[in-house]
Amino acid sequence: MMESELVRVTAFTLMMAAIATLVMLPPGVALAWLLARRRFLGRDILETLVSLPLVIPPVATGLILLKVLGRRGPLGSLLEHTGVDIVFTWKAVVLAMAVMGLPLLVRSARAGFERVDPRYEQIAATLGAGPWRVFLTISLPLAGRGLLAGVLLGFSRALGEFGATIMIAGALPGTRTLSVAIYRNAEIGQDAAAMTLLAAAVTIGFAAVSLSNRLGAST
Amino acid sequence: MFSARYGLLAAGLGALAMWGGACQNTEPRLDTKPATVLVSAAISLADVFGAVADVYERESGTRVLLNLAGSNLLVNQLIAGAPIDVIISADVRQMDRVEAAGRIRGGGRMNLLSNQLVVVVPVDRVGTVTTVDDLASPEVGRIALGDPDAVPAGVYARDYLESIGLWSVLRDKVVPTRNVRAALAAVEAGTVAAGFVYRTDAAMATNVVRAFEVPIDTGPFIVYPAAVVSAAPNATEAIRLFEFLRGSEARRLFEEAGFIALQPAVSETSGLFTTSSK
Amino acid sequence: MELHQRIEARTVALYGPSGAGKTTTLDAIAGLRRPASGEIRIGTHVLFASDVGVDLPVHTRRVGYVPQDVALFPHLNVRRNIMYGTGRRDETSSTTVLELLEIGGLLSRRINGLSGGERQRVALARALLSDPELLLLDEPMAALDLGLRDRILPYLERVRDEIGTRMIYVSHIKGEVRRIADWVVVLDGGRVVRSGPPNNVLPGT
Repeated sequence: MMESELVRVTAFTLMMAAIATLVMLPPGVALAWLLARRRFLGRDILETLVSLPLVIPPVATGLILLKVLGRRGPLGSLLEHTGVDIVFTWKAVVLAMAVMGLPLLVRSARAGFERVDPRYEQIAATLGAGPWRVFLTISLPLAGRGLLAGVLLGFSRALGEFGATIMIAGALPGTRTLSVAIYRNAEIGQDAAAMTLLAAAVTIGFAAVSLSNRLGAST
Repeated sequence: MFSARYGLLAAGLGALAMWGGACQNTEPRLDTKPATVLVSAAISLADVFGAVADVYERESGTRVLLNLAGSNLLVNQLIAGAPIDVIISADVRQMDRVEAAGRIRGGGRMNLLSNQLVVVVPVDRVGTVTTVDDLASPEVGRIALGDPDAVPAGVYARDYLESIGLWSVLRDKVVPTRNVRAALAAVEAGTVAAGFVYRTDAAMATNVVRAFEVPIDTGPFIVYPAAVVSAAPNATEAIRLFEFLRGSEARRLFEEAGFIALQPAVSETSGLFTTSSK
Repeated sequence: MELHQRIEARTVALYGPSGAGKTTTLDAIAGLRRPASGEIRIGTHVLFASDVGVDLPVHTRRVGYVPQDVALFPHLNVRRNIMYGTGRRDETSSTTVLELLEIGGLLSRRINGLSGGERQRVALARALLSDPELLLLDEPMAALDLGLRDRILPYLERVRDEIGTRMIYVSHIKGEVRRIADWVVVLDGGRVVRSGPPNNVLPGT
């Protein structure tokens, strides 16, 4: 009985984290590039906004998301009209994970882009490559390592996400991630179950860190 | 096994108690520092107990420190070693856990209050639910209640729904919350279509409307047991407060808030501890 | 800095000490720096005109650039580097350039294994194969020793003579300038000091 919950919750968590990583990639890379390469009005504000989930408590981020997406929130009422359900579903899990992982992705990716000598991008332009081509063939590959590190960080953060998740996804049977399941089992006194899930979480964390180290070492 | 988890919280509470104790030790004159008593109370008692504590503080000069949470969490904390003096849970099951752990002072347990379950809906959805069967309607979305595996309010709700054969139908719609106030908050915010709360909670809330009441005679019997914790740090204060709670003043406050007092009205405090009866 | 020149020549040299503004001029022509005001034109092709608000983006200017630091793309091999600017063009032009610069055998090599001379030739090929209207060369010999310089210069002459691309060649070495250029603009402190055929303008013989 416990084994099937363990497998289900672990698989669910991994899948949600993977989807969340995919979701955070386009905006994350775009923001990283923008912040690395462009000067514009409001740039500091954007920078701060992106870093916000890192410095305020995750539950606070979750609360903000809940207010925005809840039935009475600005986005929520719109979603209700179109019949799209986010709060308390798996989509909320993905959203919470993506929002919390994004700042880490942006930071790493931005450092990656900043390490790319602008000279290469300039020369590529003189050779006739438009901005998109320069980005895809020069900036992105050369920022590769920083980008990859960012993706791994974002994914790891998504895996362990708890505070925001529990606010907008709750602890429903269909939305329990590994961290939420550990918490819930602990709360209701199911110690053995909590420990088993804990072991799974530690194992995954271990694997993620050693993979990240291995990739970082091959510089 | 519990202590690893609740170590931090227990340490926090322990630090609080020790700090209080340290203050006592450094004070040169004993009569200038107030006595304290630490009470863990089920979260549905939040508002009424605040009022009760105020009255008690004024009359006795003892400071009441209130620790509010879902009863299951309160019991976890207590068993993990938190320095609680008096505990009031929202169901018998949780108090039995305390008793099984040997943490109740001899003779110091009583059934203090009862309550009633109601179903509330957000104020802008008034009329969507009038009977319990309406909950099964496809127009009614999610239903919030305390986690039915551990939170008393949730257990009561599930017991009730099981007794009328609606649990299996509704369980997919259930949003389990940490405690009954969280369920109430979800209904207030409109993120769920309905929620099971105590009528005392519904009375305090804005933005919600009572859809229907779970009948007291056919519904679950809700009991709030209260107990003095064995080896309580402030044992004398604990016993005094305990007696106050079954007195007429406290009773009046509880009833005004909508609770049902279970202890017989006594004009004299023939305390549980002063008589030799069991 | 200020520069007003109207030149009709095939190979122009910008000559002067470091800090005179030579690289800045090249950057402006390529579109990598924007002048405060003025006009930049190649024949009738206007690249920049501040009074009418024309400022062609870099990738549309068809100006080939071989910078001082060469800047070969480190993550691509030689073939990919030189083919970067070609788009869908016929193979014949590339064969000519490859033969001319004798880099046919280097195609599958990685960038970081190349010698200084090889890098220069690859960078030159890369710029040429993008079919530019104008080729900008910033101190192409600066990083090379004397012997190597003597060996590279003929390649440049070949490009000038057999391919015929217009060039602007930046250098502070008189001998090279004399050999390569038909017109010299002497810069100092951000201003044009002299301008004319090499023999008229360069000091010494």
